[in-house]
Amino acid sequence: MTVLEHDWFPRPVTDTVTVGERSWLYSSYACHHNRGRITIGADCGIYNGTQFELGPQGEVQIGDFSTLVGAIIATNGSVSIADHVFIAHEVFIAASPWAQPPCDARGPLATSTGATDPPVVIGSGAWIGTRAVILAPARIGRDAIVGAGTVVSGVVPDGATASGNPAQIRVRR
Amino acid sequence: MSFPIEEVTGEWDRSSLPANIEFGDRVWVERPQAFARFISRRKPGLRLGDDVRAYGWTVFNVEPEATLTVGPRSVLVGAIFMCAERIEVGADVVISYGVTIADSDFHPLDPEARRLDAEASAPYGDPSRRPPVAHAPVVIEDGAWIGIGAIVLKGVRVGAGARVGAGAVVTREVPAGAHVEGNPAR
Repeated sequence: MTVLEHDWFPRPVTDTVTVGERSWLYSSYACHHNRGRITIGADCGIYNGTQFELGPQGEVQIGDFSTLVGAIIATNGSVSIADHVFIAHEVFIAASPWAQPPCDARGPLATSTGATDPPVVIGSGAWIGTRAVILAPARIGRDAIVGAGTVVSGVVPDGATASGNPAQIRVRR
Repeated sequence: MSFPIEEVTGEWDRSSLPANIEFGDRVWVERPQAFARFISRRKPGLRLGDDVRAYGWTVFNVEPEATLTVGPRSVLVGAIFMCAERIEVGADVVISYGVTIADSDFHPLDPEARRLDAEASAPYGDPSRRPPVAHAPVVIEDGAWIGIGAIVLKGVRVGAGARVGAGAVVTREVPAGAHVEGNPAR
Protein backbone atom coordinates (compact mmCIF):
# COMPACT_ATOMS: atom_id res chain seq x y z
CA MET A 1 0.00 0.00 0.00
CA THR A 2 1.30 3.41 -0.97
CA VAL A 3 1.51 5.92 1.86
CA LEU A 4 1.81 9.58 0.94
CA GLU A 5 3.64 11.25 3.80
CA HIS A 6 2.30 14.67 2.86
CA ASP A 7 -1.31 13.54 2.61
CA TRP A 8 -4.11 15.49 4.31
CA PHE A 9 -6.90 13.18 3.21
CA PRO A 10 -7.57 10.56 5.88
CA ARG A 11 -7.73 7.53 3.63
CA PRO A 12 -4.85 5.47 2.27
CA VAL A 13 -4.09 5.05 -1.39
CA THR A 14 -5.50 1.60 -2.21
CA ASP A 15 -3.55 -1.35 -3.61
CA THR A 16 -4.99 -0.68 -7.05
CA VAL A 17 -2.82 2.46 -7.27
CA THR A 18 0.92 2.30 -7.96
CA VAL A 19 3.13 5.38 -7.77
CA GLY A 20 6.61 5.15 -9.32
CA GLU A 21 9.96 6.34 -8.04
CA ARG A 22 10.31 10.07 -7.44
CA SER A 23 6.73 10.72 -8.57
CA TRP A 24 4.47 13.09 -6.66
CA LEU A 25 0.77 12.37 -6.08
CA TYR A 26 -0.75 15.33 -4.26
CA SER A 27 -3.22 13.31 -2.19
CA SER A 28 -5.23 10.10 -1.94
CA TYR A 29 -8.15 12.49 -2.47
CA ALA A 30 -7.39 12.05 -6.19
CA CYS A 31 -8.85 8.54 -5.88
CA HIS A 32 -11.79 9.11 -3.54
CA HIS A 33 -14.32 8.16 -6.25
CA ASN A 34 -12.02 5.69 -7.92
CA ARG A 35 -12.91 2.03 -8.54
CA GLY A 36 -10.29 1.24 -11.19
CA ARG A 37 -6.54 0.72 -11.46
CA ILE A 38 -3.92 3.45 -11.71
CA THR A 39 -0.25 2.95 -12.55
CA ILE A 40 1.96 6.03 -12.42
CA GLY A 41 5.53 5.71 -13.71
CA ALA A 42 8.68 7.41 -12.43
CA ASP A 43 9.31 11.15 -12.12
CA CYS A 44 5.68 12.19 -12.70
CA GLY A 45 3.84 15.10 -11.10
CA ILE A 46 0.14 14.56 -10.37
CA TYR A 47 -1.01 17.83 -8.84
CA ASN A 48 -3.89 19.28 -6.85
CA GLY A 49 -7.23 19.01 -8.64
CA THR A 50 -6.49 15.81 -10.49
CA GLN A 51 -9.25 13.23 -10.02
CA PHE A 52 -9.34 9.63 -11.15
CA GLU A 53 -13.02 8.74 -11.62
CA LEU A 54 -12.62 5.21 -12.97
CA GLY A 55 -15.23 2.49 -13.09
CA PRO A 56 -14.38 -1.13 -12.18
CA GLN A 57 -12.95 -1.78 -15.68
CA GLY A 58 -11.21 1.58 -15.75
CA GLU A 59 -7.43 1.72 -15.95
CA VAL A 60 -5.01 4.64 -16.22
CA GLN A 61 -1.38 4.02 -17.11
CA ILE A 62 1.04 6.93 -17.03
CA GLY A 63 4.65 6.68 -18.24
CA ASP A 64 7.67 8.59 -16.96
CA PHE A 65 8.23 12.35 -16.64
CA SER A 66 4.57 13.20 -17.30
CA THR A 67 2.69 16.05 -15.63
CA LEU A 68 -1.02 16.26 -14.78
CA VAL A 69 -1.61 19.76 -13.43
CA GLY A 70 -5.24 19.03 -12.57
CA ALA A 71 -7.06 16.71 -14.95
CA ILE A 72 -10.28 14.79 -14.36
CA ILE A 73 -10.33 11.32 -15.91
CA ALA A 74 -13.80 9.72 -15.96
CA THR A 75 -14.12 6.40 -17.78
CA ASN A 76 -14.80 2.69 -17.40
CA GLY A 77 -12.09 1.94 -19.97
CA SER A 78 -8.40 2.35 -20.56
CA VAL A 79 -6.46 5.64 -20.61
CA SER A 80 -2.82 5.32 -21.57
CA ILE A 81 -0.59 8.36 -21.13
CA ALA A 82 2.98 7.94 -22.40
CA ASP A 83 6.23 9.64 -21.33
CA HIS A 84 6.91 13.40 -21.20
CA VAL A 85 3.23 14.25 -21.61
CA PHE A 86 1.96 17.58 -20.27
CA ILE A 87 -1.71 17.92 -19.31
CA ALA A 88 -2.76 21.39 -18.08
CA HIS A 89 -5.38 22.61 -15.57
CA GLU A 90 -9.00 21.45 -15.76
CA VAL A 91 -8.52 19.05 -18.64
CA PHE A 92 -11.21 16.38 -18.93
CA ILE A 93 -10.60 12.92 -20.34
CA ALA A 94 -13.91 11.08 -20.44
CA ALA A 95 -15.83 8.29 -22.12
CA SER A 96 -18.92 10.43 -22.58
CA PRO A 97 -19.72 14.15 -22.80
CA TRP A 98 -22.17 13.49 -19.95
CA ALA A 99 -19.85 11.51 -17.71
CA GLN A 100 -20.62 10.97 -14.02
CA PRO A 101 -18.53 9.66 -11.14
CA PRO A 102 -18.49 5.86 -10.81
CA CYS A 103 -19.53 5.92 -7.17
CA ASP A 104 -20.32 8.09 -4.21
CA ALA A 105 -19.84 7.55 -0.50
CA ARG A 106 -22.83 5.23 -0.40
CA GLY A 107 -21.24 2.86 -2.93
CA PRO A 108 -21.20 2.14 -6.66
CA LEU A 109 -23.84 3.74 -8.82
CA ALA A 110 -26.11 1.82 -11.16
CA THR A 111 -25.01 4.13 -13.97
CA SER A 112 -21.42 2.85 -13.77
CA THR A 113 -21.92 -0.92 -14.01
CA GLY A 114 -22.11 -1.01 -17.81
CA ALA A 115 -19.75 -2.16 -20.51
CA THR A 116 -16.08 -1.27 -20.82
CA ASP A 117 -15.59 2.12 -22.46
CA PRO A 118 -13.38 2.63 -25.54
CA PRO A 119 -9.75 3.61 -24.99
CA VAL A 120 -7.85 6.90 -24.93
CA VAL A 121 -4.17 6.86 -25.89
CA ILE A 122 -1.95 9.92 -25.47
CA GLY A 123 1.43 9.64 -27.17
CA SER A 124 4.83 10.57 -25.86
CA GLY A 125 5.54 14.29 -25.66
CA ALA A 126 1.94 15.35 -26.27
CA TRP A 127 0.82 18.70 -24.85
CA ILE A 128 -2.80 19.16 -23.73
CA GLY A 129 -3.93 22.74 -23.02
CA THR A 130 -6.15 24.08 -20.26
CA ARG A 131 -9.81 23.00 -20.28
CA ALA A 132 -9.42 20.72 -23.28
CA VAL A 133 -11.91 17.84 -23.39
CA ILE A 134 -10.74 14.51 -24.83
CA LEU A 135 -13.59 12.07 -25.47
CA ALA A 136 -13.07 8.34 -26.00
CA PRO A 137 -12.21 6.74 -28.33
CA ALA A 138 -9.23 8.99 -28.95
CA ARG A 139 -5.61 8.68 -29.97
CA ILE A 140 -3.51 11.80 -29.45
CA GLY A 141 -0.29 11.30 -31.41
CA ARG A 142 3.31 11.62 -30.36
CA ASP A 143 4.29 15.28 -29.87
CA ALA A 144 0.77 16.41 -30.79
CA ILE A 145 -0.74 19.57 -29.34
CA VAL A 146 -4.35 19.91 -28.18
CA GLY A 147 -5.04 23.61 -27.67
CA ALA A 148 -6.80 25.15 -24.67
CA GLY A 149 -10.55 24.56 -24.66
CA THR A 150 -10.44 22.13 -27.56
CA VAL A 151 -13.05 19.36 -27.67
CA VAL A 152 -11.62 16.38 -29.53
CA SER A 153 -12.13 12.67 -30.10
CA GLY A 154 -10.77 10.26 -32.70
CA VAL A 155 -7.25 10.55 -34.07
CA VAL A 156 -4.89 13.53 -33.76
CA PRO A 157 -1.86 12.46 -35.85
CA ASP A 158 1.72 12.54 -34.57
CA GLY A 159 2.96 16.13 -34.40
CA ALA A 160 -0.41 17.61 -35.36
CA THR A 161 -2.27 20.42 -33.60
CA ALA A 162 -5.95 20.17 -32.67
CA SER A 163 -7.78 23.34 -31.68
CA GLY A 164 -11.30 24.70 -31.40
CA ASN A 165 -14.72 23.34 -30.57
CA PRO A 166 -15.43 21.25 -32.56
CA ALA A 167 -11.71 20.60 -33.08
CA GLN A 168 -9.91 21.34 -36.31
CA ILE A 169 -6.70 19.44 -36.90
CA ARG A 170 -3.64 20.87 -38.61
CA VAL A 171 -0.71 18.65 -39.51
CA ARG A 172 2.71 20.23 -39.15
CA ARG A 173 4.89 20.00 -42.25
CA MET B 1 -4.59 14.47 10.23
CA SER B 2 -7.79 16.08 11.39
CA PHE B 3 -9.58 16.46 8.08
CA PRO B 4 -13.26 15.62 8.75
CA ILE B 5 -14.03 12.70 6.46
CA GLU B 6 -17.76 13.40 6.62
CA GLU B 7 -17.13 16.63 4.68
CA VAL B 8 -16.38 14.53 1.60
CA THR B 9 -18.88 11.74 2.08
CA GLY B 10 -22.11 13.70 2.25
CA GLU B 11 -22.58 12.68 5.90
CA TRP B 12 -21.95 16.15 7.30
CA ASP B 13 -24.44 17.92 9.54
CA ARG B 14 -26.98 20.05 7.68
CA SER B 15 -28.39 21.71 10.79
CA SER B 16 -26.20 24.81 10.42
CA LEU B 17 -27.50 25.56 6.92
CA PRO B 18 -29.94 28.45 6.39
CA ALA B 19 -33.60 27.48 6.91
CA ASN B 20 -34.54 28.59 3.39
CA ILE B 21 -32.68 25.65 1.85
CA GLU B 22 -35.17 22.81 1.35
CA PHE B 23 -34.18 19.19 0.88
CA GLY B 24 -36.37 16.44 -0.52
CA ASP B 25 -35.95 12.84 0.60
CA ARG B 26 -32.61 11.06 0.19
CA VAL B 27 -30.80 14.15 -1.13
CA TRP B 28 -27.03 13.64 -1.07
CA VAL B 29 -24.62 16.60 -1.21
CA GLU B 30 -21.03 15.46 -1.04
CA ARG B 31 -19.41 18.55 0.48
CA PRO B 32 -20.84 21.38 2.61
CA GLN B 33 -18.72 23.89 0.70
CA ALA B 34 -21.39 23.74 -2.02
CA PHE B 35 -23.38 26.22 0.10
CA ALA B 36 -20.55 28.63 0.99
CA ARG B 37 -21.83 31.27 -1.41
CA PHE B 38 -25.55 30.82 -0.71
CA ILE B 39 -26.91 34.18 0.53
CA SER B 40 -30.51 34.11 -0.70
CA ARG B 41 -33.27 35.64 1.44
CA ARG B 42 -36.07 34.05 -0.60
CA LYS B 43 -38.21 31.23 0.78
CA PRO B 44 -37.06 28.92 -0.51
CA GLY B 45 -33.79 30.21 -1.85
CA LEU B 46 -32.79 26.72 -2.87
CA ARG B 47 -34.80 23.55 -3.19
CA LEU B 48 -33.26 20.18 -4.01
CA GLY B 49 -35.84 17.55 -4.96
CA ASP B 50 -35.99 13.91 -3.89
CA ASP B 51 -32.90 11.80 -4.67
CA VAL B 52 -30.82 14.70 -6.03
CA ARG B 53 -27.09 13.97 -5.93
CA ALA B 54 -24.56 16.81 -5.89
CA TYR B 55 -20.84 16.04 -6.00
CA GLY B 56 -18.04 18.00 -4.40
CA TRP B 57 -17.40 20.43 -7.25
CA THR B 58 -20.93 21.84 -7.00
CA VAL B 59 -21.38 25.53 -6.14
CA PHE B 60 -24.77 27.01 -5.26
CA ASN B 61 -23.99 30.73 -5.59
CA VAL B 62 -27.47 32.12 -4.95
CA GLU B 63 -27.77 35.91 -4.52
CA PRO B 64 -30.11 37.63 -1.99
CA GLU B 65 -33.15 37.89 -4.28
CA ALA B 66 -32.62 34.64 -6.15
CA THR B 67 -34.18 31.18 -6.19
CA LEU B 68 -32.63 27.97 -7.50
CA THR B 69 -34.66 24.77 -7.79
CA VAL B 70 -33.49 21.30 -8.83
CA GLY B 71 -35.99 18.58 -9.66
CA PRO B 72 -36.00 14.98 -8.44
CA ARG B 73 -33.27 12.49 -9.37
CA SER B 74 -31.10 15.09 -11.06
CA VAL B 75 -27.34 14.58 -10.85
CA LEU B 76 -25.10 17.60 -10.36
CA VAL B 77 -21.54 16.42 -10.97
CA GLY B 78 -19.74 19.72 -11.33
CA ALA B 79 -22.31 22.48 -11.74
CA ILE B 80 -21.41 26.00 -10.72
CA PHE B 81 -24.72 27.82 -10.43
CA MET B 82 -24.39 31.60 -10.57
CA CYS B 83 -27.95 32.62 -9.71
CA ALA B 84 -29.05 36.25 -9.39
CA GLU B 85 -32.77 35.79 -10.07
CA ARG B 86 -34.03 32.31 -10.97
CA ILE B 87 -32.58 29.05 -12.25
CA GLU B 88 -34.87 26.03 -12.60
CA VAL B 89 -33.45 22.58 -13.19
CA GLY B 90 -36.04 19.91 -13.93
CA ALA B 91 -36.23 16.22 -13.06
CA ASP B 92 -33.71 13.59 -14.23
CA VAL B 93 -31.26 16.20 -15.50
CA VAL B 94 -27.56 15.32 -15.73
CA ILE B 95 -25.03 18.13 -15.41
CA SER B 96 -21.52 16.75 -15.94
CA TYR B 97 -18.10 17.98 -14.83
CA GLY B 98 -17.01 21.62 -14.99
CA VAL B 99 -20.30 23.24 -16.06
CA THR B 100 -21.25 26.87 -15.36
CA ILE B 101 -24.87 28.04 -15.45
CA ALA B 102 -25.50 31.79 -14.98
CA ASP B 103 -28.74 33.80 -15.13
CA SER B 104 -27.03 37.21 -15.13
CA ASP B 105 -23.98 39.01 -16.49
CA PHE B 106 -23.38 40.03 -12.83
CA HIS B 107 -21.51 43.14 -14.00
CA PRO B 108 -22.62 45.63 -16.66
CA LEU B 109 -21.27 45.48 -20.19
CA ASP B 110 -21.69 49.18 -20.98
CA PRO B 111 -18.24 50.77 -20.46
CA GLU B 112 -19.42 53.75 -18.39
CA ALA B 113 -21.66 51.59 -16.18
CA ARG B 114 -18.76 49.16 -15.90
CA ARG B 115 -16.53 51.83 -14.38
CA LEU B 116 -19.19 52.81 -11.83
CA ASP B 117 -19.71 49.15 -11.02
CA ALA B 118 -16.00 48.53 -10.56
CA GLU B 119 -15.69 51.40 -8.08
CA ALA B 120 -18.89 50.51 -6.19
CA SER B 121 -17.88 46.86 -5.85
CA ALA B 122 -14.28 47.56 -4.82
CA PRO B 123 -13.31 46.27 -1.33
CA TYR B 124 -14.04 49.67 0.27
CA GLY B 125 -16.65 50.79 -2.26
CA ASP B 126 -20.35 51.47 -1.70
CA PRO B 127 -22.29 48.50 -3.07
CA SER B 128 -25.53 50.51 -3.02
CA ARG B 129 -24.11 52.59 -5.88
CA ARG B 130 -23.81 49.61 -8.20
CA PRO B 131 -25.69 50.15 -11.46
CA PRO B 132 -28.48 47.69 -12.30
CA VAL B 133 -27.59 44.55 -14.21
CA ALA B 134 -30.01 42.62 -16.40
CA HIS B 135 -30.95 39.12 -15.29
CA ALA B 136 -32.90 36.52 -17.26
CA PRO B 137 -33.93 33.17 -15.80
CA VAL B 138 -32.41 29.91 -16.99
CA VAL B 139 -34.59 26.81 -17.31
CA ILE B 140 -33.18 23.32 -17.85
CA GLU B 141 -36.14 21.06 -18.58
CA ASP B 142 -36.67 17.43 -17.57
CA GLY B 143 -34.21 14.86 -18.84
CA ALA B 144 -31.78 17.33 -20.42
CA TRP B 145 -28.07 16.47 -20.24
CA ILE B 146 -25.42 19.19 -20.03
CA GLY B 147 -21.95 18.12 -21.20
CA ILE B 148 -18.51 18.48 -19.65
CA GLY B 149 -17.27 22.05 -19.46
CA ALA B 150 -20.39 23.57 -21.02
CA ILE B 151 -21.49 27.12 -20.19
CA VAL B 152 -25.19 28.05 -20.16
CA LEU B 153 -25.85 31.79 -20.12
CA LYS B 154 -28.75 33.99 -19.05
CA GLY B 155 -32.19 33.69 -20.59
CA VAL B 156 -31.58 30.22 -21.99
CA ARG B 157 -34.17 27.46 -21.93
CA VAL B 158 -32.76 23.99 -22.56
CA GLY B 159 -35.70 21.89 -23.69
CA ALA B 160 -36.75 18.50 -22.34
CA GLY B 161 -34.41 15.69 -23.30
CA ALA B 162 -31.95 18.01 -25.07
CA ARG B 163 -28.24 17.16 -25.25
CA VAL B 164 -25.67 19.94 -24.81
CA GLY B 165 -22.24 18.78 -25.96
CA ALA B 166 -18.93 19.08 -24.13
CA GLY B 167 -17.52 22.60 -24.08
CA ALA B 168 -20.63 24.14 -25.65
CA VAL B 169 -21.38 27.79 -24.92
CA VAL B 170 -25.18 28.07 -24.94
CA THR B 171 -26.53 31.58 -25.53
CA ARG B 172 -29.99 30.85 -26.94
CA GLU B 173 -32.85 28.39 -26.59
CA VAL B 174 -32.19 24.71 -27.21
CA PRO B 175 -35.37 23.01 -28.47
CA ALA B 176 -36.65 19.87 -26.74
CA GLY B 177 -34.75 16.81 -27.93
CA ALA B 178 -32.14 18.82 -29.85
CA HIS B 179 -28.38 18.17 -29.68
CA VAL B 180 -26.17 21.26 -29.75
CA GLU B 181 -22.43 21.74 -29.51
CA GLY B 182 -19.67 24.25 -30.14
CA ASN B 183 -19.13 27.92 -29.35
CA PRO B 184 -21.61 29.43 -29.86
CA ALA B 185 -23.71 26.28 -29.51
CA ARG B 186 -25.81 25.33 -32.53
